[in-house]
Amino acid sequence: MRYLALGLGGAALALLAFGLAVRWPGALGLGLAALGSEYAVLFAAEGSTLDGLTPVYAAGLLLVAELAFWSIERRVAAWSEPTALEWRLARLGVACLGAASVAALATLSSAAATGGGGVVLESFGVGAAIGSVVILALLMRRLFLR
Amino acid sequence: MTGSATGKLHVYVVLAGLGLLGGLTLGRPELVAIAAPFALFVALALVFAKPPSLKASSEITRERQLEGRHVDLLLELSADRTVPRLEVLVDLPEALVAEAPNPILIRLARGERRELEIPLRCDHWGAHEVGEVVWRAQDAYGLLVYEGRAGEAHPLKVYPRGENVQRLLRPLETQAFSGNQVARNRGEGIEFADLRPFTPGDRVRRVNWRATARRGEPWVNEMHPERNADVVLFVDTFAEARRDDLGTLDLSVRAAAALAALYLREKDRVGVVSFGGVLNWLRVTSGTTQLYRIVDSLLDAEIVLSYAWKDLDVMPPRTIPPRALVIALSPLLDDRAVGALLDLRARGFDLAVVELSPFSFVSEGESEVERLAYRLWRLRREALRSKYASLGVPIVEWREGIPMEAVVEEVRAFRRHARVLRA
Repeated sequence: MRYLALGLGGAALALLAFGLAVRWPGALGLGLAALGSEYAVLFAAEGSTLDGLTPVYAAGLLLVAELAFWSIERRVAAWSEPTALEWRLARLGVACLGAASVAALATLSSAAATGGGGVVLESFGVGAAIGSVVILALLMRRLFLR
Repeated sequence: MTGSATGKLHVYVVLAGLGLLGGLTLGRPELVAIAAPFALFVALALVFAKPPSLKASSEITRERQLEGRHVDLLLELSADRTVPRLEVLVDLPEALVAEAPNPILIRLARGERRELEIPLRCDHWGAHEVGEVVWRAQDAYGLLVYEGRAGEAHPLKVYPRGENVQRLLRPLETQAFSGNQVARNRGEGIEFADLRPFTPGDRVRRVNWRATARRGEPWVNEMHPERNADVVLFVDTFAEARRDDLGTLDLSVRAAAALAALYLREKDRVGVVSFGGVLNWLRVTSGTTQLYRIVDSLLDAEIVLSYAWKDLDVMPPRTIPPRALVIALSPLLDDRAVGALLDLRARGFDLAVVELSPFSFVSEGESEVERLAYRLWRLRREALRSKYASLGVPIVEWREGIPMEAVVEEVRAFRRHARVLRA
């Protein structure tokens, strides 16, 4: 499993580098997905205890994603306005802190939960996950079709 | 205004979905924990997304400018809500070059009025419109992009830069009104022409006392009167040879504008005929207003492809007045223009042809066949030049980089030569 994790990490690195080189968001998405998969494979290898570093990983993954997408944005004379850069860096810091907080909250909630969920509760969870994606899709649709 | 999602939004949605589903499938809350920020990020962006309402107004410091000079575009931007990342691109024609970063990235706070000053270099003559901006705004999360246009376009006329000419081409015949051209006939004037015996009615002040004393009978001076001339600038717009930044039409327009300004300064009457796919003309008249009319008319000169046969008959009567000097500015690439110039000569007009050499715009070719074709083309052009010369039409080749002054001098030399032969 460790080799699989190592392979996924290498693939993520390669995909991110490729995405940055050709400025293609799809490759960046695949690279980020590979990083998340690597994290999942490590759990499968290491057992069932909760990882205390999840908030750091979540913040790091968001930071990698934000910086990668920043890198492939269209180039403009950005440095003509230093305050725009300062605001953006500040927003990035807040986003990472927020990501860490949300991840910590999610981890703590799951740690506080007692007992197994059972089929019904897991079905609710799957429904909630699918529902959240559908809600996001509907929001996007409403936003761009009006 | 249009709105669209960035690639980042799609990726974040997919990552959030994969993380949530993976967490549930594998029973690991950590995957849900790392997916949750992405989902929250997207949800916040979509819930709080509002398109920016951007207002832009612009003005330019000058409405007319010379080629190679600068004008300033003043741009004022404001928005009813904060735009964290606003890219502003001033939509410029190719002839105008911004000497400040364009596009520019700014952050526009709510209620803020931002003034931008963008110096523009007028690279090429023409009538342009400037002042409209294209903007692109991103939301604070970088997931949504809005694009639109704002501002109003202002007309900007860029006049061709003048050519340096000191001495003008003198017309063979002058008109009836007074001017600065020394007429070839004799009359009241200040330029000495000849001596002749006194006849009754001659004024005493015109008696040449030295000649009278030497010859023992009264002799008087004869003078050349100063008259004005009619000059018609014949600009061939059928075809041109061009490379990226310069073409024979540019040379024609620059030369025509410079000659018009100089002849009008000499109190001559000047007109323009733009003879090509579209026929434009301005009848001869004098004065500063006519200079503006001519230059504005030249700004509209363009090569319009046309297969219709055109000759001088399409021109309205009196467009080229009798005894006018016609200065043709042509690359001699189109048979219709070549024929029209020969026709002008046949009708007895005083014609001078400035051939705007297309050679500097055409490469010789690489293969033997191409080089042979190039040589044949040059020979045909030489034959055409000889034809004009044999008809008594001064024809001078004007290449890029050669001053207009040299061209005018060459025509003057040709005319001196032609007069000697006639004598």
